[in-house]
Amino acid sequence: MNYFRIWLAGARYSLVRTMMFRGDFFIWSLVEFFWMTVNLLLIAVLYEHTSSIAGWNEYQMILLVGTSLLVQRLLMGFFWTNLFEMGRNIRTGDFDFFLAQPGHPLFMASTRKLDPDGLLNSVVALGVVVYAARHLHLHPSLLDLALYGGLLLAGLAIHYSILVLTMSLTFWLKSAQGIEGSYFTLAEFGRLPREAFRGLARLLFVWILPVVIVSNVPARSLLNGFQARWTLWLLALAAIWVVLAVGVFNRGLRRYASASS
Amino acid sequence: MFAATAKYRQAFLVGLQSNLIYRFNFATRAVFSLFSLAVVFVLWRAAFAGAPAIGGFSFGQTLTYFVVLILLQFLVGAFNEDYQISEEIRNGLINQFLLKPINYYLYRLSIFLSARLVSGAIVLLPLLLAAPFLHAWIVLPGGAWRFALALPAMAFAALIQFTIAYCFGLMTFWFLEIQGFVILSMAVEAMLGGQMFPLDLLPPALYRVAQWLPFYYQMYFPAAILTGRIGGSAAVRGLAIQAGWALVLVAGGQVLWRRGLRRHTAVGG
Repeated sequence: MNYFRIWLAGARYSLVRTMMFRGDFFIWSLVEFFWMTVNLLLIAVLYEHTSSIAGWNEYQMILLVGTSLLVQRLLMGFFWTNLFEMGRNIRTGDFDFFLAQPGHPLFMASTRKLDPDGLLNSVVALGVVVYAARHLHLHPSLLDLALYGGLLLAGLAIHYSILVLTMSLTFWLKSAQGIEGSYFTLAEFGRLPREAFRGLARLLFVWILPVVIVSNVPARSLLNGFQARWTLWLLALAAIWVVLAVGVFNRGLRRYASASS
Repeated sequence: MFAATAKYRQAFLVGLQSNLIYRFNFATRAVFSLFSLAVVFVLWRAAFAGAPAIGGFSFGQTLTYFVVLILLQFLVGAFNEDYQISEEIRNGLINQFLLKPINYYLYRLSIFLSARLVSGAIVLLPLLLAAPFLHAWIVLPGGAWRFALALPAMAFAALIQFTIAYCFGLMTFWFLEIQGFVILSMAVEAMLGGQMFPLDLLPPALYRVAQWLPFYYQMYFPAAILTGRIGGSAAVRGLAIQAGWALVLVAGGQVLWRRGLRRHTAVGG
């Protein structure tokens, strides 16, 4: 309850801040919107020339990409800036500030701000999913929708954990440059159907790194209904990654020696 | 004349040294572009499973296009030049150039060229590592004329890329933050520059429109010449349009510079 009140205060502060920089909000909303459009146009062009990719038709593919974008926009809206600033703060010593706050430092650091542009675009991404579902004549029950939502949250937890893990590396390394790019590259794999992966790529991106599962399992559940095996697998993965990320963060925190200067 | 070029040669050499410091950054980016290539490989191979040819080209030819694109990105692409220029304006570092007989555009261009020499050399490393896996798919059309036309196309592409970045950097005279604009334009460039898919796969009407936009000449055009996606006469005509765009953009950059300086306030020194 206390944490919720802290979060609410942060959210209110972010909204006020956004209202102060309306131009910025407008531009960044457009940025994310454009990138989503680029991804959808790629699908439109591909399906001009072929009718099926790894067994997925055009609207199923749009549903998959929409799901992947939705998880990503939620990450952007709630955590992205916070975690990046955390990496920078650890390096400069400004992380001290978070240690003095009333709550676990990871919670305080990762929920300080909201990005309303990311949240706005998660609504757009949701629109993409709904659009695809309508074209596929899907009629999910409330339970199906709850399952889809739950799987999305598990996916969000995995993305969040991966980002916390990489950012926690700054406790040991002095610079974490290039991580931003590496996240986006990994996220690109999430827009591909699991069935398209073969051999080594399948082992690496489907089994070892959970990037493909995160979008494929919720999308599949919406298309084909509840699949016990995959659902359990995604939930287990989410649990493992969260425990791992929090563990590494706590270890790193013990090494934190304030300003490096 | 010689004296005039000597100072830019010096800027080039200094740029070479300072960019060598960032060799690790370039190498990291190059390695990650291999991951992007893996995404391309998985997606397009799955697409080709249902169609032996897409847009008249085989899977190998399409993959070759994307490999050439990576090479071009490191050889002629703009990286963060817009951001560097923006920082120099914001921090007042450009003040020194206003007092000296040096052209800021040419100075930055010299540094850009040295940076591309470094990144262009570094990208060969991961590509060589991937070569044993890739070589079975690489299909390059023959014809010395393709290389003869691709070289000027690459030079103009570099000029266009740099000048667009330069113009974005100069927007700092008017706006506090340009990062939003830059990423916005990156999305447009990714789309209309042919980084997401070869532009010839667009519906014919859209493809014809794209041919008149500068983005077409940033990446797609040289890559298409090298990988056989456009023929000789189209390439020659393209070169003319490309040169036209380069001219327009360079002139536009000069106008922005002069207008921006009127708004610029140099404080201290």
